[in-house]
Amino acid sequence: MAGGPTFKVELLGAIPSLRAFAMSLAQNADKADDLVQETLVKAWDKQASFQAGTNLKAWVFTILRNEFYSQMRKRGREVQDSDGLMTARLAVHPSQVGSMDLNDFKAALETLPEDQREAIILIGASGFSYEEAAEICGCAVGTIKSRVSRARSRLQEILKVSGEGDYGPDAISAQVMGSNAA
Amino acid sequence: MKSMKMAAEISPNKAVNKTDPLGVHSEIGRKLKQYYDDLTSEEVPDRFAELLKQLEEQETTIDSTAGKGG
Repeated sequence: MAGGPTFKVELLGAIPSLRAFAMSLAQNADKADDLVQETLVKAWDKQASFQAGTNLKAWVFTILRNEFYSQMRKRGREVQDSDGLMTARLAVHPSQVGSMDLNDFKAALETLPEDQREAIILIGASGFSYEEAAEICGCAVGTIKSRVSRARSRLQEILKVSGEGDYGPDAISAQVMGSNAA
Repeated sequence: MKSMKMAAEISPNKAVNKTDPLGVHSEIGRKLKQYYDDLTSEEVPDRFAELLKQLEEQETTIDSTAGKGG
């Protein structure tokens, strides 16, 4: 056996992050926890293939992500790609310019296509490097970078926040000036 | 005496990058972390720890009976 008790302890330790990632993907608490359960079973079965000393969190995230997409395919749901969402223009109205509510943020996040959502979560919240995120998603580093960048632009657009560092009074004046262009 | 050398030598390129578009200077970055931190700090249902315990016990049983997969 590859890990023994250590493997189990590490797996237990990864559960809170796994659940957060699952929620970000599935957007539903029950589905998310089913996903985590399935991931733990798969991870346990595959533990011989886990190389001790490497990043267990990245390894289980990969398993969870694969499970998520395979379940989506089984349900016959087409995996959204970034272009597909262009048509789905969103109706999220931030309650206040410059100090968005967390619920507004969640709503905005849900409107992102899965590939962009997972990329921005992995990079901006889960603390993975671009290289690790690319490995988890099975794509090139450049692809992750562009997904993160598109996700960020889209969130900024939906939430009407301007560029990085622009929040507070400056964000509001920038917003006022920006909306004159309409 | 110098037991803190690990903490003292945090490499500067690991520090917050000022141009990091999802860093603390970005509203999106901060909300993203808040959203995620809320999720990770939720209480984990017991079912997961129980599941791992079961898996571990199963494995022990299989080992001791030298069982065949099936």
